[in-house]
Amino acid sequence: MRRLELVLSRLVWFIPTLFGLVFLVFFISNVIPTDPARIVAGENATEAQVQALRAEMGLDQPLHVQFGRYIGDLATGDMGRSLYTRRAISDDLMHRLPATLELTFAAMIIAIGLGVPAGVISAVRRNSLTDQVLRVLSVSGLAVASFWLAMELQMFFSTRLGWMPLNGRVSGWGPDEITGFYVIDSILSGDWESLRDTLHHMILPAFTLALPAAATLVRFTRAGVLEVINSNYVTYERAMGFPTPLIIWKYVLRNALISTVTQIGLIFGALFAGAVVVEAVFDWPGLGTYAVQSILQSDTKAILGFSIIVGIVFIGVNLLVDIIHTFIDPRTLK
Amino acid sequence: MTNTKKPGTLNRREMLAIGPLAGLGAFVVPSILRADTGSTGRYVHANNSAYDTLDPHTVGDVARVATRLNFYDGLYRWVDNPPRQIPWLATSHDVSEDRLTWTFHLRDDVMFHDGTPMTANDVVYSVERMLELGLGAGALFLPMIDPGNTVAVDDHTVAFTLKEPSAIFASLVGDIYVVNSALVQENEVDGDWGQAFLIENIAGTGSYTLSRYDPARGFIGERFADHFAGWGDKYFDEIEFRTVLETNTRLQGLMRGDYHGLDGYLAPDQIQRLREADGVTVNEEESMRVFHLAMHNGRAPLNDLNFRLAMVHAFDYDGYINQIMQGTVARNPTIVPGNLWGVPDVPGYTYDLEKAREYLDAYRAEHPGEEIRTLKIGTLAGFSETEQAAALMQNGLAQLGINVEIESSPWPVISTAMQNPETMPDMVPYWKSTYYADPNNWIGELYGSRYAPTRNVSSYHSEYVDERLEQALIETDQAERERLYQEATQRVYEDAAGIWIYNTKWFGPYASSVKNIRFCPVGNGQDMRWAYAE
Repeated sequence: MRRLELVLSRLVWFIPTLFGLVFLVFFISNVIPTDPARIVAGENATEAQVQALRAEMGLDQPLHVQFGRYIGDLATGDMGRSLYTRRAISDDLMHRLPATLELTFAAMIIAIGLGVPAGVISAVRRNSLTDQVLRVLSVSGLAVASFWLAMELQMFFSTRLGWMPLNGRVSGWGPDEITGFYVIDSILSGDWESLRDTLHHMILPAFTLALPAAATLVRFTRAGVLEVINSNYVTYERAMGFPTPLIIWKYVLRNALISTVTQIGLIFGALFAGAVVVEAVFDWPGLGTYAVQSILQSDTKAILGFSIIVGIVFIGVNLLVDIIHTFIDPRTLK
Repeated sequence: MTNTKKPGTLNRREMLAIGPLAGLGAFVVPSILRADTGSTGRYVHANNSAYDTLDPHTVGDVARVATRLNFYDGLYRWVDNPPRQIPWLATSHDVSEDRLTWTFHLRDDVMFHDGTPMTANDVVYSVERMLELGLGAGALFLPMIDPGNTVAVDDHTVAFTLKEPSAIFASLVGDIYVVNSALVQENEVDGDWGQAFLIENIAGTGSYTLSRYDPARGFIGERFADHFAGWGDKYFDEIEFRTVLETNTRLQGLMRGDYHGLDGYLAPDQIQRLREADGVTVNEEESMRVFHLAMHNGRAPLNDLNFRLAMVHAFDYDGYINQIMQGTVARNPTIVPGNLWGVPDVPGYTYDLEKAREYLDAYRAEHPGEEIRTLKIGTLAGFSETEQAAALMQNGLAQLGINVEIESSPWPVISTAMQNPETMPDMVPYWKSTYYADPNNWIGELYGSRYAPTRNVSSYHSEYVDERLEQALIETDQAERERLYQEATQRVYEDAAGIWIYNTKWFGPYASSVKNIRFCPVGNGQDMRWAYAE
């Protein structure tokens, strides 16, 4: 019951948070000194044609009126049309969302798979050579620029060794689309060749995206384990003769992971938004490439749509983290 | 419990840890070892633009021309370099005595992809659609022809009645891409002229039919065997155009053999990298894409001839062309491409700071006590050539004691600013591409008063020039038109209305197996029906 109350209270905040996000992005994007009507009309249009288009698009109205209309449309799921392509933005975003989510999940799995064990090892072997090496690696992971790493990985694994695909989500056009998640679609349709190809294409972009996240998790896990490892109950378990691996991986980790789980929630949102750069380099047909194109074209409505989707995912994931917290640490319900 | 194991073997826990990774590796590795050679029957092109709409009438940019050229046909078609028009859907045309009515005679053997024959009614519908939407090439036709003034004389004859005589109309009809009127009308929703339908469907007669399309990735076209122009012995069965935003990824993809061709306007270091790569051929052609610094002739101090003459002598043309561009472009002394007709015989301004100082002194003598303000150059973010040109100009002017501020913005931002004389920066370096191969595309649109302030962004107005440009727009005698454009361009040159730097060279990078790329500045070599693999 308490858990349901928590979820509901978080959901109540969802709407005003989203409204705040839309408000900010709408007005900020209108600060950009572009004329959407002129962009749509093209460089060959005359001033009269541009004026006519401006009126047709409602751009001759005051900004607050335009915002009111946008919110009204948004309430019905209509994000408007791209200035540049004239396509429905919601369709474009929904079409690309699975690609980005799939990449983000893959990166998250890699980040957790690398970051949490490395953090535990670093804590258990505190101040040893292993700990020092892991600390250097994690700082490097945080410092390295994604676009640089992506290009280096491409040059080495794709061009020089020829082991990895250079870019794209799949070699051809992928499995029959059911959910838009190629891993799931390949499995559902029993297309093992596509599954293999999809995973193969995912390795480099997911690793590039995962590296800074893994570095963060190493540091948080290390700090969490160090905090817990000196607790009385751990001393008691040691005195009882429990094997060290059991104590660490079962009893210490559960308590140490509380702050790490919070980080995982934040990191997921950051990965989702950070996919912009990685997707552009690896030509991953997701929201990131859409955002890059929209920014380059000053397609304000498309940028707005992208920001809303990122905001929804970010808020949603953090809600999920709060719920998970209640399972890991039931005290949060009190 | 003791845990014993033989050296070199794994215990249960290690097996559990390593097993899934090894399984994943074994699953994925075979595809690592499998080379993606690509089909010889399919040409794969990587481009930096998104193919986010297939509608031939809502976009007109050169970057997305591949969908229009390969899925649709126009009345005439631009080919080769220097560009020439060849009969295409139309075999010929007549012009009435008053030069207002243009009658085009259409082929009678043209089929749409769905097998229905193309008639003059389809041309009429296409023109009306372009005029109604007013986008893409439609914006070029709107000043020339009113809706309702295109009629089907019979099934294979179509007549256009223009608002005023136009010598460039024939140059533009290649942009009238004909759609299947019955199919589009069937799919119209709420009077949208089939916009929702044509965004991701094709209704054309073009050399390729659409077989796959994903706006996030690109498209695949399949050869249309029944195309009216027929096919030679060699051709590509399929063409695939993919959007690959990152230049480095496109380059590596071509060198690896993932792609067979790329967009042809690359930076000098990238061209050099491709030239050194095995299996890659770089085709070189002088294009018609003039790089220049547009100057605001309507704002002080640039509204003074002596000051502008100082400006044109303060730019290091040779340094820019030979050092920064590494000789990959050709000096172009005026706004009209040197490889087109209508170009006056002028030497071109040179980098001469002494001369610039003389002109500046003359300006100061005319404006005693006036302090020269800081000039502002707007550049295109992401286009390093524009930023380098601005920096070079800044350096030249610094030696003359003139301060320059450089502000970089994305193209939509800077282009919006340019089209308003109040917000147009003092100078903007950018390219003028080929929409149609007629001097009006350059000298007319950039310096003629009728195109201000949208295309003539310089606020340059000269009765002498306007008179000639207007006359050239209605004159049908080619020699006379050439004289008029030469005179107009010569005057704009003498007025130092801009800083004209180079004509771009197109370096089309292709796999060495790709032959017969027929480059034309109007379509940038993306009309794929002529190409084949060998």
